[in-house]
Amino acid sequence: MSPAPAAPLFRTAGLTKRYGGVTALDGLTVDVPRGLVGLVGANGAGKTTLFRLLLGLARPTEGDIEVVGRPVASDPVGTRARLGYMPEHDCLPLDQSAADVVSTLGELSGLPARAARQRASEVLDLVGLDEARFRPVGGFSTGMRQRVKLAQALVADPELALLDEPTAGLDPTGREEMLALVSRLSSFGISVLLATHLLDDVARVCDHVVMLDAGRLVVAGPTETLLHQTGKLTVEVNAGIGRLARALRERGLTVVTDALFEADGEAGAVDVVVGADAGPVLDTIRDVLADLGLPLQRLSSRAASLDEAFVAAERGAGTWP
Amino acid sequence: MAVTGGARGAVYDRGYRPYDGPRGGRAAATLALYKASVRRAVGLRRSWRQKFLPLALLGVVSIPAAVNVGIGYATRNSPLEGFSFFTYREYVGVSSALLLFVAVCAPDVVCPERRQRVLPVIFARPLTGVDYVVAKLGAIFSIVFAFAVLPQILLFVGQTLVSKDGSLRYVTDHADVLWKVPLAVAALAAYYAALSLAVSSLTARRIVAGASIFGITIISSVVAGILDNAGALGGRGRLVNVLALPLVVRDLIFEGHIHESSPVAGVPGAAALGLAAYFVVLGLSVGVLLWRYRWAER
Repeated sequence: MSPAPAAPLFRTAGLTKRYGGVTALDGLTVDVPRGLVGLVGANGAGKTTLFRLLLGLARPTEGDIEVVGRPVASDPVGTRARLGYMPEHDCLPLDQSAADVVSTLGELSGLPARAARQRASEVLDLVGLDEARFRPVGGFSTGMRQRVKLAQALVADPELALLDEPTAGLDPTGREEMLALVSRLSSFGISVLLATHLLDDVARVCDHVVMLDAGRLVVAGPTETLLHQTGKLTVEVNAGIGRLARALRERGLTVVTDALFEADGEAGAVDVVVGADAGPVLDTIRDVLADLGLPLQRLSSRAASLDEAFVAAERGAGTWP
Repeated sequence: MAVTGGARGAVYDRGYRPYDGPRGGRAAATLALYKASVRRAVGLRRSWRQKFLPLALLGVVSIPAAVNVGIGYATRNSPLEGFSFFTYREYVGVSSALLLFVAVCAPDVVCPERRQRVLPVIFARPLTGVDYVVAKLGAIFSIVFAFAVLPQILLFVGQTLVSKDGSLRYVTDHADVLWKVPLAVAALAAYYAALSLAVSSLTARRIVAGASIFGITIISSVVAGILDNAGALGGRGRLVNVLALPLVVRDLIFEGHIHESSPVAGVPGAAALGLAAYFVVLGLSVGVLLWRYRWAER
């Protein structure tokens, strides 16, 4: 169905956007594959600016941008026809029913009236608003409004849905449900660009991550790789964490710990830095544990949080392409 | 829900069907926005409270036509035969009452979209700021045109039916109104639509927009009165009244010159000046609208 399934989700080359003296995006060059993609950065990192550029609602100061195989600069309207956009802020007419809102916006996306009504009811069903959809949006809870916002982004079956902080303002249950919904979209053939400052959300849902900071690209790549590039092993014991750490150091290993563990009798975990070859390190750990007779709780390769990857990449310590 | 399975089939697929039907472009999106705005303005798919004002106004502006036809019928065999309360030209002036209507519905079709921040999701769709302006102008224009022309049709059909000389004779005698009325009403509707939408586009609050529309008309008529009383500008000061301008255009369409009953009758150059002022206000209003909805340009 997609005109060019092989085309990447979006591709930018030297993309720069300045507003007066403020540089919102600075020479962004990325090539992002289809799927669930996280766009991570603090407030003001350039996420919203990138969204506006992807939608063709702002013109780049410099550089090129291509979305779902279409050049945005020369065909912004045609590009928008294949995108869905869920803003972070409230964006719904409060005095209309959810069904009316979503079907009208579906028609505005170019669907014929009948198809728009049909799609609106299907999509509202999908987001879990089957019974409430004939009530005015003004009476909806935040969670329900977020669902309507997601529904209007999906109503025209976009190739790419741009979701700006979809879990903002949701309680833990609502957040879980929203993330579950988002993670299903790729199985429907809808790619997602999920802008958030919550690295957790991205780690949970996204296959790829693009990190921005102050308008610059920090790192971009598959989430998996980002999470597993720490080069550390975690050793967790039920008691004697202090003795373990000292013994490992005596054997010449580099041990990273929280400052709190040193009390001898405590349970806890230490991270051991692994070189190119993990074998000897694992042997040493096994021997130390056996010698000290400590009860091993867990021995695992240390999965980094995205926060750590972010910090590492910012310091330039990351090995990222 | 039907489980589609198929090529995209997935464990989670609870009936999601990709859409592969036709997709329209800018024209379709603009038409959809136009239809949605018309529906909103006349109260379709809304509560009875919202339907009341448009229907009541349509009723009010139709009453003179009904009365006129009724009198024509009652007096058809009397010496008063052929008597008419007012002409078609004057009846276009009755439609000035539709100012009340545009002061309510023009803010209603644009202000909430700004206030409730719906504009970003509208402009994330395949349409541009120009399309938005075209759709909104078209919607208000269509409704004002319809509400101004329907009573005229009522008047014309009624007069035709009660005419003593026979219907055919009446139609041939009054054939000119068949183009003059729609043209004059269109001039009025375009003017009201552009002016009221331009004012509404400047604020996110309906009440402020509605009050401003009235304010502009009141202030301009007061200023016109002051200029007139001061004897300034040789009577041309009356053209400062924004409500007078579409009526000048109406006179030109019906008579080819300004009618004797007009406040600017006999003022030298008033026709050309009035026509020019009409187009300036119209152009300025459209300019303001395009400027306020220049979304894709930033």
